[in-house]
Amino acid sequence: MTIYLDNAATSFPKPESVYRAMDAFARSSLGNPGRSGHQMAQASEAALNDCRHRLNILLGGLEVDRWAFTLNCTDALNMAIKGTLRDGDHVITTDLEHNSVSRPLRAMELAGVITLSRVRASRDGSVDPDDVRAAFTPRTRLVTMTHASNVLGTVQPIEILARMTRERDAIFLLDAAQTAGVLPIHAEQMMIDLLAVPGHKSLMGPTGTGALYVGSRAVLRPWREGGTGGDSFSETQPTKYPFFLEGGTPNVIGLVGLAAGIAWVQEQGLERIHHHELGLARRLWEGLDKLDCTVLGHRDTTRRVATVSFTSDRETAPNLGMILDTSFEIAIRPGFHCAPYIHVAQGTRVTSEGAVRVSPGPFNTEADIDALLDALSQVVS
Amino acid sequence: MNPLERYSRQMRFYGIGETGQKKLLASRVALCGCGALGTVLANVLVRAGVGFVRVIDRDFVETSNLQRQVLFDENDVIESLPKSEAATKKLRAINSAVTIEPVVTDIDRTNIENLCRDVDLILDGTDNFEVRYLINDVSVKLGKPWVYGGCIGSHGQVLPIIPGKTPCLRCVFEAAPAPGETGTCETAGVLGPIVNIVASLQATEAMKILTGNLEQMNPELTYLDIWENVHKRIKVAPLLGKVDCPCCQRRRFEWLDGEHGSQTTSLCGRNAVQVSHRVPGKLNFEEMARHLSMMGKVTFNKFLLKFNVDDYEFTVFPDGRAIIKGTDDEDKARTLYAKYVGH
Repeated sequence: MTIYLDNAATSFPKPESVYRAMDAFARSSLGNPGRSGHQMAQASEAALNDCRHRLNILLGGLEVDRWAFTLNCTDALNMAIKGTLRDGDHVITTDLEHNSVSRPLRAMELAGVITLSRVRASRDGSVDPDDVRAAFTPRTRLVTMTHASNVLGTVQPIEILARMTRERDAIFLLDAAQTAGVLPIHAEQMMIDLLAVPGHKSLMGPTGTGALYVGSRAVLRPWREGGTGGDSFSETQPTKYPFFLEGGTPNVIGLVGLAAGIAWVQEQGLERIHHHELGLARRLWEGLDKLDCTVLGHRDTTRRVATVSFTSDRETAPNLGMILDTSFEIAIRPGFHCAPYIHVAQGTRVTSEGAVRVSPGPFNTEADIDALLDALSQVVS
Repeated sequence: MNPLERYSRQMRFYGIGETGQKKLLASRVALCGCGALGTVLANVLVRAGVGFVRVIDRDFVETSNLQRQVLFDENDVIESLPKSEAATKKLRAINSAVTIEPVVTDIDRTNIENLCRDVDLILDGTDNFEVRYLINDVSVKLGKPWVYGGCIGSHGQVLPIIPGKTPCLRCVFEAAPAPGETGTCETAGVLGPIVNIVASLQATEAMKILTGNLEQMNPELTYLDIWENVHKRIKVAPLLGKVDCPCCQRRRFEWLDGEHGSQTTSLCGRNAVQVSHRVPGKLNFEEMARHLSMMGKVTFNKFLLKFNVDDYEFTVFPDGRAIIKGTDDEDKARTLYAKYVGH
């Protein structure tokens, strides 16, 4: 049985209740929501609303209907970025971003639509609010950044930055790919105008699920238009949320799983999950120190998630990844993690061909970490 | 002039005649791979007047091909032409009365059915078992004969296969040899004459099948080693229906359905491709290192084996997976894997 330590990519396993909910729903109630009034359609509509409700409670939205379902976090980020920005806008982002943010922005910059400031992260993986403050221009419409680096696990001072953004009348878009389901997030209190979350990571849903929260200050254009199950005679996309952003049949079965995943997270409690994962991270970096591996980023557990990336002088990251998989059946993620700028900044692009990223989840145990360390000790020492 | 005049010597042969010649002219062949075996096959069959030949290969002509790949010359290397294009040019000059269709592509499970659907016979000019098993699946599925041929060093083998009438490749060899188990032409080398002999035997079987001389067909596996002076006829015909063949008895086309075979992934930002070719059990690195030592320095421990060829760096793992650095072209990586790791 594989020891799975790649939860930053997608969580595995899912709670038993997620599998059960999806199976039961698929066998009894999987209709197309809203399209007609029959019982299965209504059951599907109710399942979507239940999922929206749980997201809204867990992540502190203003109202349920401001949550639009997406394919994943990338989809939500694209919807937010491309729906918000207009000709001549200025955008502030950071070196820590995943390509889901960096690529759409860079493409718009190259196309001459926007100007872009990319704020550097310190060696230990933190963005300095002063650097962000200095980057604002009168044309800044959007500040977009990750809550926690998907490579380093370092959590950013988003409350300060979101407030700063609001004071300058710009929009704050948060990529919560690595934190939703682990750290407390309250979109309204934290002044997050747009919040993008994946359903399949720490919220424990299946792949193919995600959501975008659209606060009252954000004005978007939908980039996907189509059937919404109601208002059929409206010649253009209905402006009512969430239908405004949700043309087409949604991933009902996936969202049933996501609702069950969120319920499980709520039952366990964020703090308990986070504490468990951080304990494993600490055990890991202490072991890595003994093996002379270099752990990237700081170790201040008050502003960190459990993702740990490291390099070794003995072997490149991709080779370590393959060895762990082929000889030990341990699943980790080597390489650049779709986050090129931070690997350049950390110097890991060339020296070690990236880093080995280990991301424990709620179902990992100390024995999993020990097995990884034991395997590494055979390979690198 | 009588268009059949050019074939007069062949028609005078009792086994062909004018009837056989007309059958050849009306027949269609797909040639999978146009390298060592493929160029000889194409040369013989186009001269013989096979009416349509589809020449499929994705590689480009290189200097090291010229020792045995009879249709290519130094100009093709200078122009770095795709093999199928370079071969087509020569073949059209040799015989303008037949149709040659060049196809520059990597044969895989997504395209092989379309490439073989409209032909009467499939010819194996490949250098790897993955494509051979794909050909075998398609041959059985579509009910089209094919002729297997392979050679390495100074030895080679030939087996014509007619689905339902003779055992198929999987009846004889149920699984491909594991990567690194046998050498490849790149690691063990190959003599020009064995290529010509094996391909000529294949071409002969093809002519028998295309002219309807099935009773003349050699239903056994021919094995030759021209250096060690071995010539064997291995009895395989009795295997038909006697082995529980997943392909021709159960009609499970596992290679065509993607249950076997390799998978490639370009590794982001590293100019490297990961080739996954899972093998049952573990690779024997000592054996592999021995084969590969002809190429240069090989290092290995129990977790990986590394070697360099030209500008490519190979890292092979015990389950058959490999990372090939120096290209981000997945087809190229697959070819490199077949050439040096082998399958």
